[in-house]
Amino acid sequence: MEFPGIILDTSTIIQIQKPARNILYDMLIVGAGPAAMSAAVYAARKMINLAILTIDFGGLMNETTEIENYLGFQNINARDLVSRFEEHVKSFEIPANYGVPVKEIKKKDDFFSVFLEDGTVYSGRTVIFTTGERHRELRVPGGRDFVGKGISYCATCDAPLFRDKKVIIIGGGNSAFTTALDLIRVNAEIILVNLMKEWQADEILKQRVKKYEKIHFLDNHEIIRIEGKDKVESCIIKNRDTGEEKRIDIDAIFIEIGLLPNSAPVKNLVELNEEGEVIVDCLCRTSVRGLFSAGDVTSVPYKQIIISAGEGAKAALSAYDYLVRTSLI
Amino acid sequence: MGKISEKDRKQLKDIFKSLPQSVKIVMFTQEIECEHCRLTRELLQEVAELSEKILLEVHDFVKEADLAKTYNIDKIPAIILIGDGDYGIRFYGMPAGYEFTTFIQDIINVSQRDPKLPHDVLAVLSKVYKPVHIQVMISPT
Ligand SMILES: Cc1cc2nc3c(=O)[nH]c(=O)nc-3n(C[C@H](O)[C@H](O)[C@H](O)COP(=O)(O)OP(=O)(O)OC[C@H]3O[C@@H](n4cnc5c(N)ncnc54)[C@H](O)[C@@H]3O)c2cc1C
Repeated sequence: MEFPGIILDTSTIIQIQKPARNILYDMLIVGAGPAAMSAAVYAARKMINLAILTIDFGGLMNETTEIENYLGFQNINARDLVSRFEEHVKSFEIPANYGVPVKEIKKKDDFFSVFLEDGTVYSGRTVIFTTGERHRELRVPGGRDFVGKGISYCATCDAPLFRDKKVIIIGGGNSAFTTALDLIRVNAEIILVNLMKEWQADEILKQRVKKYEKIHFLDNHEIIRIEGKDKVESCIIKNRDTGEEKRIDIDAIFIEIGLLPNSAPVKNLVELNEEGEVIVDCLCRTSVRGLFSAGDVTSVPYKQIIISAGEGAKAALSAYDYLVRTSLI
Repeated sequence: MGKISEKDRKQLKDIFKSLPQSVKIVMFTQEIECEHCRLTRELLQEVAELSEKILLEVHDFVKEADLAKTYNIDKIPAIILIGDGDYGIRFYGMPAGYEFTTFIQDIINVSQRDPKLPHDVLAVLSKVYKPVHIQVMISPT
């Protein structure tokens, strides 16, 4: 018999090491979206002792398909951009714990304890908090029951399931129109429903979507109930001016009504604004010394990859300066 | 000529540089080797040469029947990966084709003493209260 040969696919090999529990890290980075990954690259180059604590790598970027506004790439597949970010970060061999959410961050004396959902605790002299945002839920009867059974918060993930089907998209901003593009690709019949009058998305997106024949626009309308037996079958929508209600038979509902900051782990520690975002100054400092924050979870406006990445870099440099100034390293 | 190409050898050396702790590969073959046994042994010898952290121990299934029994080995070629203890990892047959990558990942996981399973999966697994026999069949494509 001849040797059948071997295949070494290094791209699938996971080499990351877990952080040590008995070490006081110079920096703990919470999250691994673009803000965190950029912070990690900047911090690693300062040769400080750091670790990443996250649920996943890539964050919200995993929910989109094409990215057309990240400098240097006219058009890049979102997965490819995440892989490039990851590869860059992993070249520094930074220990990372992933899969377990951070539950709470506390400060005692001059250091932070980061508590994970599974009971593990990590310690750091500084923390960079970059947990991003999550989807705002549609709170109407049926809104919870049918998630995964016709209700979706991720067009990239679920649009292919609704080829040639009839779907509703709720929302009027960029996310709703990007979702429409994903559904146009699968030839779905689309009804866009927006609570507000008119549409808030960027003009370029609106123009692209409006070219499609099988799309209907209903602004100033709201969904008041979602119905079905085992999956979504219909919904009731109401005209907000006239109060008139009507039932529409439908196969799926995509919800894009905004995002909420994942600030729960620091809500008892730092100052948040009315939206629940972590308030930061131009050096990414929060109201607590040693705790820095960056990206979508902060009060910085315009939630975008390039902005998160820039803020992440700034947070790392700012935290490094803090460590040096306070003689902690 | 070796079974691992020069390019793969280089990549593996790089990957193995960051192995934190040692891994012992225990292999069972026999004096008059079956072809698969020989090829597997030669492949493992090449892997072990790539890092000081990887130690290879080759045993005879027939002559060391008692040892085979303590490891619960009933067929060859058999591979066992040992870290701080025996985690129950058994690989029967030759880790060729794509299974080679899986095998390398196993070495890394054992070296890191980390099964790399999400905590909710570990939580479910911790509730398994009686022995379960699972065999995964693979073909080296
Ligand atoms: C459909 C869609 C399309 C988009 N398209 C574009 C686009 O074309 N161009 C563009 O620039 N931007 C786009 N964005 C926005 C962009 O994805 C975000 O601005 C960016 O990902 C924010 O980065 P971040 O690092 O701040 O947060 P995120 O990317 O949200 O990352 C947050 C990280 O924190 C982790 N995390 C969350 N909670 C916890 C916890 N409790 N414990 C530990 N870890 C936690 C997550 O796992 C994740 O790794 C899009 C967003 C969506 C939803």
